[in-house]
Amino acid sequence: MELHICHLYPEVLNLYGDRGNILCMKRRLEWRGIGCSVTELKIGDRTDLSGFDLFFIGGGQDFEQEVLLGDLHTGKDREIRAAIEDGKTFLCICGGYQMLGNYYETYDGVKCEFLGAIDFYTAGSETRMIDNYCFRLGEESGGSVVAGFENHSGRTYLGNGIRPLGTVLKGNGNNGQDGTEGVRYKNVFGSYSHGPILPKNPDFADVLLTSALNRKYGAAELEPLPDTFEKQAHDSICDRIMAGTMSAD
Amino acid sequence: MREMSRKPFVLQTILAVASCKFVRGLLRRTGKGGGTALPGKVAMKFEKDILAQTSRGMEIIVVTGTNGKTTTSNMLEHALTAAGKDVLANKSGANLLSGVTAEITCSADWLGRPKKKTAVIECDEGALKQVVPLIRPKVIIVTNLFRDQLDRYGEVMHTLEAIRTGIKKVPDSILCLNADCSLTSSLAFDVPNKIVYYGLNTPLGEQDDQAVSDARHCIRCGTVYQYRYHTYAHLGAFRCPKCGYERRDPDVAVTAVDSITSRGSIVKLDIDGQPWPREVKIGLPAVYNIYNAAAAIAAYRAFGGRTEEVLRSLADVNSSFGRMETFMPGKQTVQMILVKNPAGCSQSIDYLTRLEEDFRLVICLNDRTADGHDISWIWDADYEKLASDAHVTRILVSGDRAEDMMVRLKYAGIPEEKIALERSNENLLAMMKESPLPVFVLPNYTSMLALRKVLSDATGKKEFWEKQG
Repeated sequence: MELHICHLYPEVLNLYGDRGNILCMKRRLEWRGIGCSVTELKIGDRTDLSGFDLFFIGGGQDFEQEVLLGDLHTGKDREIRAAIEDGKTFLCICGGYQMLGNYYETYDGVKCEFLGAIDFYTAGSETRMIDNYCFRLGEESGGSVVAGFENHSGRTYLGNGIRPLGTVLKGNGNNGQDGTEGVRYKNVFGSYSHGPILPKNPDFADVLLTSALNRKYGAAELEPLPDTFEKQAHDSICDRIMAGTMSAD
Repeated sequence: MREMSRKPFVLQTILAVASCKFVRGLLRRTGKGGGTALPGKVAMKFEKDILAQTSRGMEIIVVTGTNGKTTTSNMLEHALTAAGKDVLANKSGANLLSGVTAEITCSADWLGRPKKKTAVIECDEGALKQVVPLIRPKVIIVTNLFRDQLDRYGEVMHTLEAIRTGIKKVPDSILCLNADCSLTSSLAFDVPNKIVYYGLNTPLGEQDDQAVSDARHCIRCGTVYQYRYHTYAHLGAFRCPKCGYERRDPDVAVTAVDSITSRGSIVKLDIDGQPWPREVKIGLPAVYNIYNAAAAIAAYRAFGGRTEEVLRSLADVNSSFGRMETFMPGKQTVQMILVKNPAGCSQSIDYLTRLEEDFRLVICLNDRTADGHDISWIWDADYEKLASDAHVTRILVSGDRAEDMMVRLKYAGIPEEKIALERSNENLLAMMKESPLPVFVLPNYTSMLALRKVLSDATGKKEFWEKQG
């Protein structure tokens, strides 16, 4: 068995250590003897996306996200929407998550058209939501608790019938108002969580990998890993986030 | 009493200075650390712009940028002192407005007049715009821009703009800019300041376009830069093929690196286009100290000093507070190398993996306000190099976020048996005393402060403020 991972826009959407998610997925597959390739797709690169099983899109600086929109309109936008409808697995973080929605509207009313792959939009606000936070994944995503770090001024509002990735236990999530975090649409997992999100949330990492393996090979079950360090980090950080004792002065 | 009639609120000044000195003295006597920022905050309550007064007439060099501020300041202070100047420097790394105010105000007389004529001031990138209009420096160095405390500044570009705002307020200050950093060099656009460039004219390390980059795209037109050569991270001979924005020829240029060891480097220089007749020795190791040295040379000359003086003093510059300090609690050396961000961390790891001796490693990771709450930068630093280094026998992990660090090391390919959690500084000290091998420590800021105190108490090394005359 093997999975082909596509890392979209690694040269532009690469802030906040999100490439740690790619490393995490690679290792977790290798440790189970499952082959894995990672292909980077940059601005200007054209490749058929149908050869990939799993896509990762990270977050970036506003300055470079503009350059990226031009590249999407050369055809990558259609291919990404097609891959999503086809049930391919996507992990999209922060800017990469926002990009899948209909549009982004800045605080002073400027509207930026995005991919429109999933029915939601994001509105810029004057305040930044920056902190460690916790959310519980929806049942269809395994139901475990995720410890992460959010850093965004955009507030995302999901359309009717669009399911969030999880519910906020502590922190802001999508907009700090409705208790939702991220989006789950077919096999798209969108979230505001940096951290990076996967390494100390091993149950979630495996849910992601399983969704890609299932689609490719029919039913697939991942052999459980001991995950001593991961569980230690996950449990202690979750406890501290819930108790409000993270990041002292 | 002419001063009295120009400043009717001289009482405010006296109170500001007095409160500053009093609070600092109190904090030091009661052992509550260096008392670096609080005295400044108290003084500013009496007079908001007290810093403008207590620095009036001083000749000041300001050092800002992501990496290298403290070491470059240390190099300059060392050179100026050797040349016979009485130099004030904010040693402790307290580089926000309150810390700078505390340092300069405590050094003034009771009427708020400066007693020292010269100062080297390390200044945080975000605080620059508050500090420089008050102290009107003769020279400002910008060392480089890398991703650092992202949850404090937002993004590298915001940091750049914050620095630019500061520079625009002091058009008479001479700028010393890193020619090899496309972000730093862009500060030259549309400013009236005189500019002196420094940089490396020679490639170093792997010539790899794939290195994690904060500045892949031209800051003017968005096109991907081309590089004639790289030195590290995004530093090198960049050029935009579309709009032509490119690296300027440095006035202080390192033209060859003849040797790089754990004790320092030997380089050749061109100054203003002319080769310097002798090799130059730099007494601190690694590439980033070559850059720091070049910055110090450029600034020292811009300040009016003689080239031979600064070159001579670079050979024996001491390690700065926690940045690369060596202690000896037992039979073996313990060297602390402060890391705060991916570029600095990867450079430090690269330095460690070039050592030819077996050693133990201690990695400390805190996430307090001064460190930055977001520790995800550890996933952008190259710990993978440690996995293939047979000289690392054991890694102890400490600090608030030790568990995250352990996960990082595991995914970097380091066997779990080599990694252990040890949160207690006392236990770390005990290990260091008994260690049969040299110990290297990679802490970030607040964890460095705590561990350093334990080490210096145990070895009798002086507190940093006792080093000043």
